[in-house]
Amino acid sequence: MSTTKDRVYNSFEMAQAQFDRVADFLELDSATRALLRDPLREYSFAIPIRMDDGSSRVFRGFRVQHNDARGPSKGGIRFHPQETMDTVRALGMWMTWKCAVVDIPLGGGKGGVICDPHNLSLREQEQICRGWIRQVASDVGPFKDVPAPDVMTSPQHMLWMLDEFETIHRNRLPGFITGKPVGMGGSLGRKEATGYGVVFTIREALKELGVRPEDTTASVQGFGNVAQYAIELYTQLGGKVVCVSCWDQKDQVSYAYRKASGVDLQELLGVTDRFGGIEQTRAAALDYERLPGDQWIDQDVDILIPSALENQINAETVLRIRPRVKLIAEGANGPTSPEADAVLKDRGIFVIPDFLANAGGVTCSYFEQVQSNMNFFWSRDEVLGKLDLKMTAAFEAVLDVAKTQNIPMRDAAYVIAVDRVAQACRDRGWV
Amino acid sequence: MTRTGKPRQPDLATLTERAKELSCLYRSIEILTREGTEPEEVFADLLEAIPGGWQFPEDCRALLVIGGHSYRAAGFRETPWAQRAPIRVRGADVGELGVYYTEPHAAAEEGPFLREERQLLNTLAGRIGLFLLERELTGAPAAAPPESAGGQQWRVILDFLRRTEPHLVDWIAHKMLNHLRWKGVAEAEALAEPAGDAAPAEATEENRPLVVAAPQAPIPTERVFAIAREYLSDDELGVYIQGCISQAKAAFLITALEDQGSSLDEVGAALKHFEGLGLTEAELPAAVQIMIRVALLRRFFSDDLDFINVARNLVRLDDFLKLRGRVLHAPNSHGKLGGKSAGLYLAQRAAEAAAGAEPLLRDIKVPRTWYIASDAVLAFVRHNNLEEVYDRKYEDVEQVRQEYPHVIQVFKSATFPPELVTALAATLDEIGDKPIVVRSSSLLEDRTGAVFSGKYKSLFLGNQGGKPERLRALQDAIAEVYASIFGPDPIEYRAERNLLDVHEEMGIMIQEVVGVRVGRYFLPAFSGVAFSHNEFRWSPRIRREDGLIRMVLGLGTRAVDRLTDDYPVLFSPGQPALRVNTTAEETERYSQRMVDLIDLEANRFETVTVRELLRRCGARLPLVRRAISFLDDEHVREAGPLTSDYASSSAVVTFNGLARDTPFLAQMDALLRVLREHFHSAVDVEFASDGANLYLLQCRPQSRAARSAPAVIPRDVPREHVLFEARRFISNGRVPDLTHIVYIDPEAYAALPDGDMREVGRTVGRLNKLLPKRQFILIGPGRWGSRGDIHLGVSVTYSDVNNTAVLAEIARRKANYLPDLSFGTHFFQDLVEAEIRYLPLYPDEPGGYFREEFLLGARNLLPELLPESAELAPVIRVIDVVRETGGRVLRVLLNGDLDEAVGIFAPPTAGGVAAAETPADERAAEGIEPTFLDHTRWRLRMAERIAERLDFERFGVAGVWVFGSTKNATAGPRSDLDLLLHFRGGETQRRELLLWLEAWGTALAGMNYLRTGYDCDNLLDARLVTDDDMLNHGEWAGKIGAVTDAARPLRLTSS
Repeated sequence: MSTTKDRVYNSFEMAQAQFDRVADFLELDSATRALLRDPLREYSFAIPIRMDDGSSRVFRGFRVQHNDARGPSKGGIRFHPQETMDTVRALGMWMTWKCAVVDIPLGGGKGGVICDPHNLSLREQEQICRGWIRQVASDVGPFKDVPAPDVMTSPQHMLWMLDEFETIHRNRLPGFITGKPVGMGGSLGRKEATGYGVVFTIREALKELGVRPEDTTASVQGFGNVAQYAIELYTQLGGKVVCVSCWDQKDQVSYAYRKASGVDLQELLGVTDRFGGIEQTRAAALDYERLPGDQWIDQDVDILIPSALENQINAETVLRIRPRVKLIAEGANGPTSPEADAVLKDRGIFVIPDFLANAGGVTCSYFEQVQSNMNFFWSRDEVLGKLDLKMTAAFEAVLDVAKTQNIPMRDAAYVIAVDRVAQACRDRGWV
Repeated sequence: MTRTGKPRQPDLATLTERAKELSCLYRSIEILTREGTEPEEVFADLLEAIPGGWQFPEDCRALLVIGGHSYRAAGFRETPWAQRAPIRVRGADVGELGVYYTEPHAAAEEGPFLREERQLLNTLAGRIGLFLLERELTGAPAAAPPESAGGQQWRVILDFLRRTEPHLVDWIAHKMLNHLRWKGVAEAEALAEPAGDAAPAEATEENRPLVVAAPQAPIPTERVFAIAREYLSDDELGVYIQGCISQAKAAFLITALEDQGSSLDEVGAALKHFEGLGLTEAELPAAVQIMIRVALLRRFFSDDLDFINVARNLVRLDDFLKLRGRVLHAPNSHGKLGGKSAGLYLAQRAAEAAAGAEPLLRDIKVPRTWYIASDAVLAFVRHNNLEEVYDRKYEDVEQVRQEYPHVIQVFKSATFPPELVTALAATLDEIGDKPIVVRSSSLLEDRTGAVFSGKYKSLFLGNQGGKPERLRALQDAIAEVYASIFGPDPIEYRAERNLLDVHEEMGIMIQEVVGVRVGRYFLPAFSGVAFSHNEFRWSPRIRREDGLIRMVLGLGTRAVDRLTDDYPVLFSPGQPALRVNTTAEETERYSQRMVDLIDLEANRFETVTVRELLRRCGARLPLVRRAISFLDDEHVREAGPLTSDYASSSAVVTFNGLARDTPFLAQMDALLRVLREHFHSAVDVEFASDGANLYLLQCRPQSRAARSAPAVIPRDVPREHVLFEARRFISNGRVPDLTHIVYIDPEAYAALPDGDMREVGRTVGRLNKLLPKRQFILIGPGRWGSRGDIHLGVSVTYSDVNNTAVLAEIARRKANYLPDLSFGTHFFQDLVEAEIRYLPLYPDEPGGYFREEFLLGARNLLPELLPESAELAPVIRVIDVVRETGGRVLRVLLNGDLDEAVGIFAPPTAGGVAAAETPADERAAEGIEPTFLDHTRWRLRMAERIAERLDFERFGVAGVWVFGSTKNATAGPRSDLDLLLHFRGGETQRRELLLWLEAWGTALAGMNYLRTGYDCDNLLDARLVTDDDMLNHGEWAGKIGAVTDAARPLRLTSS
């Protein structure tokens, strides 16, 4: 059992350990390892704020630029009461790999402020945002480091930050930050991006498996934003979703809703509240059968799309997956435990790993940045068309590595990401 | 007024005339003694003032001739109907004062003029002569008389009175004499002394009565006033005499009020009389004003001394004049209006009184309200010969309960006394077809705290359709409220508090519903309830005094009640910028989904979804722009002036615009502060807005609301019976009977690897389902529900903790670092709605105490409860308090006033064992335990009956168990009755059994509706378990013979 002191470094150490395994596989030299194991640059600074009651308080802010060999750093800013530099380091490294796997020309970064917005008024939060920018204004920018919303930060926070940045630089630089509202430098298609991205990879995977989408059925865990758009596009491709699970706020449990003839998304949305909760009685009237929430995994379908929570496919539930299932697309972050991963590998089930399958979100952020830099904004279809190209290409590259190296898709995704970043560092002559 | 023994009063017309004459005299003297004015100006003003003293001022014109120069009022012309008096200076005529009527009038004593008018004219002429003399003597046109104005005035008035009402002068002299004697003036004492008798008694310590010095009769008035002049200034004398005169005129009112036998009619008539006299309250002496106010308050509202003390400084006589017309009552009624009316009335006056200094409080309104006096219910009962209903309260509560549905039916089919019907009909004419709400206003609320208020109903009426229809609906609603007096809950409650013999009268308020019509709906722009004390602080920056507002779109019913599946918007008006929900996700999740309103077409109270309302009415809703925000992705944007698409699925109720762009929160903050000051306690206030104005609907002391009463913190508990003490961020409340503790050892937790930490969260979720609902406390490190770093607290969702009674977080100091607690922010509003108490523990801070050794030393049930989680036993400790403490339970007492909380091991309260130990006011404040027990008892009895009647053979049943809230004595009014049936039969039997159970469930639901007003289709939740389940210990079968929270057997087959 580790001591308390060690534990604090856990998240970053985990990220480093993961990197070390991939580095071993790629046989990276020690300099490259040293360069990529730790962030390139780290900023830690004080943000003094005048509170509403006239008192002063000092908050601590961070920014980590893990690697920008492939392009400007990209990553969110978190407001969290227990934020640590190590969490930020780990997440910054993760961003580097995430951008690399979909092959967008961006590096990885992350930032944060130790604060709890629940204890702060909007004005105070605005002061923190502006204070954060004032401390790093010369070290970030549309071609250096591009922040985005993250835990407990919103498009509103991004607009305050952008405004402060532009004020300092006496310029209009909408490409400095992403996650802005549409009409204020935001991109269309962002709502759809993640869910659609999942289905683009599903489509490619089915090609690889030699199955036509219209011959497949799927069961989806979750009925939030990602799941809804995934269902929409998958249905358009001809596939049939027969089961959807969702959280029931009133009963405080989740339920799965099943309809053998296929879920009609619009029909189901008509009986869904804003929170992705499906009304029991109205769903029943539409001939949906209500099952316990965990039964989405027991369905006799071809594809499982976990897009709600972590750790849903674990050592226990993996055994309930029906023989017919041939593909799992991870719409959620970390839905599969390592134990379950091993079982899936043995059973030969094709897994599209989370950071490839749900990379539609970060890709669309990149598009927002591109459009903002041009100050020219695309139509929704144009955004989604480009997203398709990116996701498809990324999938093919990962698949290629998986096949040629004979490793699982998850490992292949890591390998290709690290390899691309290492290559960029070498090309630049850094190592 | 027919009773004898009361002094005959002069008729109204006469009194009115005297009052007018006096006013005219005051006014004229004032003009004549004004400093620094030209005589011409004085005369012009006089001419204007004089007609007011005559019988027909509108036709009356005055003429003043001085030294050949005449001054005429506008519109003056000479007519035969005139009255004149000479003006003399030093005995010589210098002019004349004349009064002319421009039209003929009926003959009186002197032509069309009264005798008193002649007196007045002479007095005025004399005063003008005096004025001319003064001007002549001083030579200065504007010199003031040597004596002060008051001095002149009182003499003139006394002179006038001597001529018109000599008996009044005697009376004033008598009062003056007493006044002087109280002041200890020796001459006055001598004057009062009976001739040649013993020396006046000194107040001594001796135990024999003082010798009374009787006044001489008749009183030498001249002498009295001469003495008075030596001891009092002219101004004092003037004020005193004027006060006496007004008091004399108001005597009839005081008499009517002081007579306990006078009916509301008589009091009303006296008030009307007073109004007719043209007297104002300010003219009465201060003591008399207070006396009248107190008497009126007692007659109309309440005998409660606290209430009267507060109210007497706020009310005005005018208020009662207005109120008089709004009170409906039976003939000879002696009823009152009840506690709710009193609170609202007082709040309104307090707000008005403060509005001068606080402009935000201007324009706070109260909806038009009519009151039915409390004894109308007696008339109603008498009229229908239902007197035997009174005896029911002495019956067994069981019987009361069984008979209650009949009472409702009988009451609703009864008729109202004709006088009341007439009054109601007239009221409806005034109201028109605006929706109304009928509220109870119990007299017992004054006595026992508002615990009662929850037990009676407020009924909303659409009030649409023809008059007969509306009248019928109104009578129906009133009858239903009346019936609720005889409901089992109030009767049981009263029996427990020895209040059965107290008069069970209840006033009724008929209030116009605040709102506007939008399409087919009628609803307020927003409404809600505001508390002076915030008992659910979501941030340590919020002080308790910053208050709490719960508000919703539409009728306030959804804000007042706690609904676990819907959420009002919360504000702390003292800290308006600190919101509970900060992220878009939280804002969305904890937003209002349903709206209560009145559907005018259906003519009833209705609940519709927010989305449906916005789709139908959208931009036409009042203040909709201030209420609605839109969520674009994560961006929260307020509606703007051009917003039209309210039907958009991204619309969400936030009231952000109201908070940011209107003074509403500042207004509520000011209001709460003012009311707290006046009520001398924290208050809760119901409010609503129709889009234009803010209305107060109800106001009562907050400490009386049962669940947020501060608990008494015992000081003499032996140390070994204390589990923890806390001194920071404490709210009010009391969690009486906790039987289990789940303790997450912070050190052991910190030492776990990540994966196991997650498992702790999942295990807590399983325990949450297993342990008796609302009878356990969760104590854990740092931030429950932490979503970010799992090391900071156990990762749980609300559903993993939703059955706990208390959620406690421990912050242990590490080196110099004290971790932040979450204050439940991750699911704060869920905790609020479910009334789960949040408690932060700082054991290492001053005043903190935490007996961890008890928790670590006690037997850990976890391995027995969840064998698969046994390896977490060093981290998660589940403790059966009853077993460990030899029959005690953990009681958590929270007192926000002291900012203190304790967890003590105490004997259980259920069944009233400990009731005798708790102070009376605390018991009164609880209110909650009897109801829980009550709901449980009824369910248990029903369960027993079902078990008894169940034909085991016919249905293939081998045993029946009860579990859940009924077994745990935590059943609330809407709890299911949970049964387990061991089933061994075939398919047909299963079908028949389910049918049989369904019939029971429906019947019980009906009974429960009558008992509580909560409606559901089926109250019975019966689970069938088969032999297989029993063998496999399936989910429900596991309840049988479980280690904790086991199902309780009701009836089993002998095998």
